[in-house]
Amino acid sequence: MSNAMRTPAGAISVERYQGAVAEGRFRRLWNANAPGYLFLLPWLVGFFGLTLGPALISLYLSFTDYDMLQSPRWVGMANYVRIATADPKFSAAMDVTLTYVVFSVPFKLTFALLVAMALNRGLRGLTVYRAIFYLPSLLGGSVAIAVLWRQLFASDGLVNAALSQFGIEGPSWISHPNYSIYTLVALSVWQFGSPMIIFLAGLRQIPQDMYEAASLDGASKFRQFYKITLPLLTPVIFFNAVVQTIEAFKAFTPAFIISGGTGGPINSTLFYTLYLYQEAFGNFRMGYASALAWILVVIIAIFTAFSFLTSRYWVHYDD
Amino acid sequence: MTLRVSRRNFVAGGAALLSLSALGTSALAQETRLRLLWWGSQPRADRTNKVSQLYQTKNPGTSITGEFLGWGDYWPRLATQVAGRNAPDVIQMDYRYIVQYARRGALAPLESYMPAKLNLDDFDKAQIEGGSVDGHLYGVSLGANSAATVLNTTAFKEAGVDLPTQATTWEEFARMGAEITKSGKRKGMFGIADGSGAEPLFENWLRQRGKALYTADGKIGFGVEDASEWYDMWAKFREAGACVPADIQALDKNDIETNTVSLGKSAAGFAHSNQFVAYQAMNKDKLALTNYMRIKPDSKGGHYRKPSMFFSVSAQSKAVDKAVDYVNFFVKNPEAALLLDVERGIPESAAMREVVATKLDENGKVALAYVSGLGDLAGKLPPPPPAGAGEADLMLRNIAEQVGFGQLSPSDGGKQLVTEITQILARG
Repeated sequence: MSNAMRTPAGAISVERYQGAVAEGRFRRLWNANAPGYLFLLPWLVGFFGLTLGPALISLYLSFTDYDMLQSPRWVGMANYVRIATADPKFSAAMDVTLTYVVFSVPFKLTFALLVAMALNRGLRGLTVYRAIFYLPSLLGGSVAIAVLWRQLFASDGLVNAALSQFGIEGPSWISHPNYSIYTLVALSVWQFGSPMIIFLAGLRQIPQDMYEAASLDGASKFRQFYKITLPLLTPVIFFNAVVQTIEAFKAFTPAFIISGGTGGPINSTLFYTLYLYQEAFGNFRMGYASALAWILVVIIAIFTAFSFLTSRYWVHYDD
Repeated sequence: MTLRVSRRNFVAGGAALLSLSALGTSALAQETRLRLLWWGSQPRADRTNKVSQLYQTKNPGTSITGEFLGWGDYWPRLATQVAGRNAPDVIQMDYRYIVQYARRGALAPLESYMPAKLNLDDFDKAQIEGGSVDGHLYGVSLGANSAATVLNTTAFKEAGVDLPTQATTWEEFARMGAEITKSGKRKGMFGIADGSGAEPLFENWLRQRGKALYTADGKIGFGVEDASEWYDMWAKFREAGACVPADIQALDKNDIETNTVSLGKSAAGFAHSNQFVAYQAMNKDKLALTNYMRIKPDSKGGHYRKPSMFFSVSAQSKAVDKAVDYVNFFVKNPEAALLLDVERGIPESAAMREVVATKLDENGKVALAYVSGLGDLAGKLPPPPPAGAGEADLMLRNIAEQVGFGQLSPSDGGKQLVTEITQILARG
């Protein structure tokens, strides 16, 4: 704007003058922000080199036949067509994964909320409890815990030993197709630490005087929970639900360890990501696995979009 | 706190520093670097590394770095390394994958090095053929083994049941199994493992019937009737209590640690002879090896001596000559043979077999005696499995489980297996 006011002197053309100004501005901007970009560099390298780049390559590979030893061969939509029409294992894996999401997320969140509320009562040594309850979340993804789980739920494991005290003869939970998925759900619920910490933070935000006023008016504890805690906590519940759903769709390690990578018995623990892994690295079908990965991206996107669309009806932001 | 350095430590440290710097310069100068990759456990790694050290002392100017992983993690790693043009020079290869890797140009053909640099003169001809694809040699066999039945002899004795012999039929074996289960000498122990989903077992049974898993041109080698009868036989065993129930068998993740014998769930199970040492190490009871049972006392054995694993040289290697020399050392040097023992199977070189035989411990002798004592139970090595064999293997197990858990009848299971495998092979 100010350029128009000034008259360029002599031989310097308007374009060159403006160019020089822009260049100067760019240089000044760069000088001012360079340290910022420098600090961002690790993230930028990571994002473009390790996230966006591979993602785009996998999108390309999903339209090819690629066995990792020879160069990829373009096949168009063939991979997607096979997924949609001729792959019974895809539907089996989808089935297992949806079951897992539907059971693990609500149970995990409920459990996390209950523990967070118990911890919120101004307990002595609160930080210690918080750390203890958070621990499983840190360990949960690890191989050691999955192995431990195998021991717990085997036919002669601890769970059945406990049940036998009550005269119940339990099945071999982890190796029976009717139950194996639920042992993995239990494993996931046990890792309630990270949503619990977030719930705890959310509970701390609720003004205490609201409860005081409510109890003066004679509201029961349950009514207080239902009318105050829950509505004011909905943004946190929403956040946790979205994050945990995405996590559940991506679950891999426990099923991989517990079934030895087979997804058995009878595909009962064939998580979507496990099937994807089998196709990519077991059967050398990197192209097909890439297509599977992109289908998963779309499914997660749909679920997330759905959560955001419905959120306006039940999430309350106090403003 | 003060730090004290004695004169001796100072001198030692200085010497270490000196040698380190010497190493650095020689590496820059003209050192050939070889990278090895294999799958297996720590004991195998120790043996392999010792051979590498031995090679380095005899061949100054060569540095060797070895890496190892478990079977399940090995193939993803190798595939990504090959795809990333970063393959190790010497690759441990399996019979199941050698065709895939060779046909896709990942392995260097080795026949031009024979016999000057790679001397396999006293190797079993059949085993050299096992490492060949389309007329080129792509893998040097590191040892032979055979599928085998593992017996917990202590459990058999406790139950008062005689051990099976080379002539025992499946029918008799099932009777023995049921007897062991019924004896109830050990809590939760059944007679035999459920082998209905185990590929080597199924293959052996097919071979006894004159069939095969796959034909030489990579098609399915058996029919619905074979598969249905197979599943039916095991269904009867399950019913009679001769073998473990389906939910126990499902604990088996196809490795030594989770085999029902190792878990103490069965007195007999199915394995490979070169695994015997590891099996015995996991079990307090006395174990023994025997062949797979026969359909009839006079039917063929169905066994074969399988190259347990190969060393292949990467086609991407910058030092193929050196890599070949290392492989030759690995299979033909007496000192190396002693270090390796029979951990990777019985040595293929007759001379190395003699070297090893004199120094074997008891468990090694069991494996050696078993493989060399197969006699006419062993037949011809089947052609290498086609692409998709790994998927077909999982399918055999998957359907076996469906039958085991009562979701599918044996005859439907047989039908489904043939349909699925035909589809898998067509897809390649």
